[in-house]
Amino acid sequence: MALSNLKEYVRPDELDVALSLVKERGTSARVIGGGIDLVRSSSPDIETLVDLSHLSLSYVRQTDKGVAIGATTTLTEILEAPALENYLQGVVVEMLHQVGAPPLRNLASMGGTLASAHPWSDVITLFLALGAQVTLYNGVTRMVPLSDLYASRALLSPAIITEALLPAYAKGTAAAFMKFSRTKFDIAILNCACLISTQNGDCKGVRLTAGGTPQLATLLPAAAEVLLGRRLNQTSIGQAAGIARETTLVRDDLRASGNYRRELVYAGVKRCLTCVSRQLSGVSQ
Amino acid sequence: MCEQRKQEFTIVGRSERKVDGIALVTGKPKFVADIDLSNMLYVKILHSPYAHARITEINTSRAEALPGVMCVLCSKNTPSTRYTTAGQGYPEPSPYDTRMFDTKVRFVGDRVAAVAAETEEIALQALKEIEVHYEELSPVLSVDAATALEAPIIHDEKDATGIFDPVRNISAKIDINVGDVKQGFAESDSTVETTCETQYAQHTPIEPHVVLSYLDEDGRLVLRTSTQVPFHTRRIVSYVLGIPLHRIRVIKPRIGGAFGTKQEILLEDLAGLVTLRTGRPALIEFTRQEEFVSARTRHPMRIRVKLGAKKNGILHAIEMEALSNTGAYGAHSLTVLSNVGSKTLPIYNKARNVRFSGKAVYTNLPVAGAYRGYGAPQGYYPLEVAMDELAGKLGLDPIELRRRNHIRCGESSPIFEEIGEGREGVAQTINSCELERCLEIGARRIGWAKKRGLRTRNGPWIHGLGMSIHMQGSGIAQVDMGAATIKMNEDGSFNLLVGATDLGTGSDTILGQIAAEVLGVPLSKVIVYSSDTDFTPFDVGAYASSTTYVSGTAVKRAAEEVRGQIVGVAAAMLESGMTNLTIKDEQVISIDGRSVTLAEVCQRAMYQVDQFQIGATESCVQDQSPPPFMSSFAEVAVDTETGVVKIVDYVAVVDCGTVINPKMAQGQIEGALANGIGYALTEVMLFSSTGRVQNATLFDYKILGALDIPPIDITLLDSYEPTGPMGAKSVAEIGINAPIPTIANAIYDAVGVRLTKTPFTPERVLSAIRSHSV
Amino acid sequence: MKIELIVNGKQQELDSAPGETLLHLLRRIGYKGVKKGCESGDCGACAVLLDDRVVNSCLVLAAKADGHRVTTVEGLAGQDKTGELHPVQEAFLEHGAVQCGYCSPGMIIAAVDLLAHNPNPSDQEIKEGISGNLCRCTGYVKQIEAIRIAAEKMRKSADV
Ligand SMILES: Cc1cc2nc3c(=O)[nH]c(=O)nc-3n(C[C@H](O)[C@H](O)[C@H](O)COP(=O)(O)OP(=O)(O)OC[C@H]3O[C@@H](n4cnc5c(N)ncnc54)[C@H](O)[C@@H]3O)c2cc1C
Ligand code: FES
Ligand code: FES
Repeated sequence: MALSNLKEYVRPDELDVALSLVKERGTSARVIGGGIDLVRSSSPDIETLVDLSHLSLSYVRQTDKGVAIGATTTLTEILEAPALENYLQGVVVEMLHQVGAPPLRNLASMGGTLASAHPWSDVITLFLALGAQVTLYNGVTRMVPLSDLYASRALLSPAIITEALLPAYAKGTAAAFMKFSRTKFDIAILNCACLISTQNGDCKGVRLTAGGTPQLATLLPAAAEVLLGRRLNQTSIGQAAGIARETTLVRDDLRASGNYRRELVYAGVKRCLTCVSRQLSGVSQ
Repeated sequence: MCEQRKQEFTIVGRSERKVDGIALVTGKPKFVADIDLSNMLYVKILHSPYAHARITEINTSRAEALPGVMCVLCSKNTPSTRYTTAGQGYPEPSPYDTRMFDTKVRFVGDRVAAVAAETEEIALQALKEIEVHYEELSPVLSVDAATALEAPIIHDEKDATGIFDPVRNISAKIDINVGDVKQGFAESDSTVETTCETQYAQHTPIEPHVVLSYLDEDGRLVLRTSTQVPFHTRRIVSYVLGIPLHRIRVIKPRIGGAFGTKQEILLEDLAGLVTLRTGRPALIEFTRQEEFVSARTRHPMRIRVKLGAKKNGILHAIEMEALSNTGAYGAHSLTVLSNVGSKTLPIYNKARNVRFSGKAVYTNLPVAGAYRGYGAPQGYYPLEVAMDELAGKLGLDPIELRRRNHIRCGESSPIFEEIGEGREGVAQTINSCELERCLEIGARRIGWAKKRGLRTRNGPWIHGLGMSIHMQGSGIAQVDMGAATIKMNEDGSFNLLVGATDLGTGSDTILGQIAAEVLGVPLSKVIVYSSDTDFTPFDVGAYASSTTYVSGTAVKRAAEEVRGQIVGVAAAMLESGMTNLTIKDEQVISIDGRSVTLAEVCQRAMYQVDQFQIGATESCVQDQSPPPFMSSFAEVAVDTETGVVKIVDYVAVVDCGTVINPKMAQGQIEGALANGIGYALTEVMLFSSTGRVQNATLFDYKILGALDIPPIDITLLDSYEPTGPMGAKSVAEIGINAPIPTIANAIYDAVGVRLTKTPFTPERVLSAIRSHSV
Repeated sequence: MKIELIVNGKQQELDSAPGETLLHLLRRIGYKGVKKGCESGDCGACAVLLDDRVVNSCLVLAAKADGHRVTTVEGLAGQDKTGELHPVQEAFLEHGAVQCGYCSPGMIIAAVDLLAHNPNPSDQEIKEGISGNLCRCTGYVKQIEAIRIAAEKMRKSADV
């Protein structure tokens, strides 16, 4: 039995009902998206599961603020969404092709993916770089930067993620994602992403992230800093990658050593930036 | 060169569909756990948390008291017979060092106790209620620790037999000398020496071990089990449980992959005992976790190879010294070790001075066993890397060096006679060998002449080419026995009953094709059944690449005998001499064009005149084990920033004699290569400082998926082995020998570093590149 | 708890403990074509279609599937009542894509999903489509080929 003490599986039609269930029952009640992590956890603590699938939260919509993704949307639905096909040259789609495999992506939900906060999450590494926002509901609705969610896990207790928003970016912005893993169907031993906005060819906004270090992705501000106001070329890219290598916190685990991860940070940042630089020069042509 | 005896076949040589294919693609309940028996008990095993400990006390009363628990087994209430879990010919060449439940545990995952209960949940609950007191002993967690002076003794029990030197943790030892290597090296113009080390790796069949046992209406014990060796299982279970062999029936249904790990009796004794004690059906299924921790692994080895050659590149002396880690028990310890030399050294038969020595030592780590390739992959790694080095040193193309040294048709090697399976081998002359063509075709298909040594750069990626050559055997000469029974039915169809075990390899189909060819019927008229110890004749089982060659010959003989009987009856019917008759298209046809159908022949024999059952049982033991040969080539690209090795192209050219079923033969090679590439690049069991497997999941033990497979180009050469059925040799194992040395040599060609430890993880490759360029 | 499933087109009302997985339930009620290789989402042997998309049934609670359609490998053949194999099954048989066959049900289901959503996949897309289905016997070469050929056949018969 996967969840041996599960007693109740409810599928409320209203968000408030869902919220009150998890509020009332504390940690014995959880909301369930795809359920992948919940089933794999085999946690004996779980007695109630609150399924969000009847709350009309499965959608990918183009809005004036960007692309809004409902919490119960599956990774496959996101991958196939027309709204993301050309968003930042398809970087989200490209990343999602590298997440797990179809029988997992058809289950995994946007909300569950962001809430579970796997340190090696490819989605989170890219979404942090893209400056994603999440909408939380705990009686009131509020939107916070995704990074806040990981800075303070208290934000989620108790609250339900209802939506993620990928901000709209003007022309002259590009992003890239890189994943290193042992086989293709594998979690990352390291992943990185970057988002660069330029003005007249100079970097104006730079967000670099590395995840699976093996901690959850964080921004790499020192490496981003050196690029500000500069062009992306071999020298600046090499410098940024070098700083990323020196400043990213890395550790050993059974998948790779910290030292090796450092090399991957270097290669990953370099390759992401090179890719972005190519995209940007392609745009300006 | 050997003569080519080409024969024309109608069924053999065609990619017939698998005889069991429709059932498999439609999901019919063909596997062990696919049938439901009422009243079934679920058995769960308590595994040792310690690598090395004595059980000072074990109390099962609380577990027994739990409602729903029917039976708790441990050392106190089970037979104490020592045996080996290795399913090999009798008497087994492996030491009897295992007990059902011992009072000492020797690896994390060793059996401590087992519970049979009404549900899986209750059984798991009951395991927690078993109180065990352990006296921890210092664990031996490496071969160096095992061979150190004053190392803890792992097998200190008095009743074990067949261990070479228990006090020094040596399970098995071998030392073979041909000529005088010392002098041989002194006489050589050039020598190279290399030491390579392989990791703990696992078979990971997608179906873990599983057995279902029950009593039939007559109270006999039936074991429906996922095994490669039904007859050995019957014999060993009978021995361990002390019940007469005739009271046991072993059924092998469809098997979800095995690769050697199911050549072991790991669960059948336990399920059998539960059923005997309770009278109820019992199911034991290993979880994936248990499969990793408690099933079998490939013997990790450290092997040193030294080669000496004359100026002209002809090998003069070869020395190979192997140190094998057999883990906590000695299953296959001697025979796998023997194969390290016997399946590799004969390929370079020009060397007059050869020494092969080795030890298999015990450690408190998971138990090694049979695994596709059976020691040969470990042996070929240093041998073929050393050949690459030697070529460099002599300034010869690696292909040319092999060309000057490899065995040829009509030649022999003293090694065949010196090393057998745990005893002396059998002298043999090679009757078929297409290595020259393998080399030539492989070189052409990979683009050897154009691409090797160029170190083409593409950003951080550098390309390189590598190659190696290989052989295996086809069964164990004068040991492996296979038998087949064919009986005819009155519609002109035939039952083919074989003890040979199809594990997914397609052997039922191949054996069926051989029978159909001889009998002149389409494959659909041969109903193949494997294996059931009550109904099918004896066969040692599916291992040592024996099925096509040994069992296939038995099938061919039985079919020929049946064919003779058919022709005899038809001769009477047609009033014709037997020699004037041929069988074709399900008819017996006489020279003058008259014919009778096979159905009519059988109807007459069954119901009308001189009645008898048309049928025969024939056996086969071969005097030799003709090796299949192959050449293997790879182009790799090495990422010099990350150490990632990408295989750009893989080419294999195989001489396996007559190809009975091309698609299936290719499938065997493709599967073996994929497994071998994983073994070379990603697969490794990791251990904690206390000997616990840290990555006992497919999440962290990485086997290749569809996206990891490089383009694989396979050529099957048509060759002809005169001693094989329709000219066939084996094909199942050889492919797995190739990837490690081929890739290692390609990496060297690309970046100039010799990797002497598997797997070639990016981290390891990068660190080798870095320390090389400093 | 009571749940309703439409398995291979057949409506069923079933008892299920709340924590039971769909894999466990399906095997319990006789769909033995759904295989168990890891129970943790790593191998794909247990793959079924849940409302037309391939999922690992070992990761799905039966309760989550309540009210949904499930297709197992047993439900692919003869959907047109002729008993004919699905083109993917046919191609797996014809092109040597089955060795032990233990991964085949899951892999065939994954391929059926792929071709339903992408009738003309590239080899790379085929590989990605079955990337969550591990096979230890074949090396995937024959499966990829079989799926390519099945796709071709299905496109042709769709054109007719
Ligand atoms: C074999 C395998 C391979 C994988 N490979 C990758 C990979 O390559 N890359 C990668 O990034 N990931 C990978 N994953 C991780 C996978 O993406 C996550 O397991 C998945 O995204 C979890 O989503 P879910 O909807 O199933 O979560 P669930 O199991 O439903 O939920 C996870 C957690 O989030 C909570 N939760 C769910 N929804 C919400 C919500 N709306 N609001 C608040 N809390 C919520 C739940 O209560 C639970 O605690 C892999 C997983 C597996 C099993
Ligand atoms: S059993 Fe479900 S993925 Fe392996
Ligand atoms: S055919 Fe055996 S696992 Fe795929």
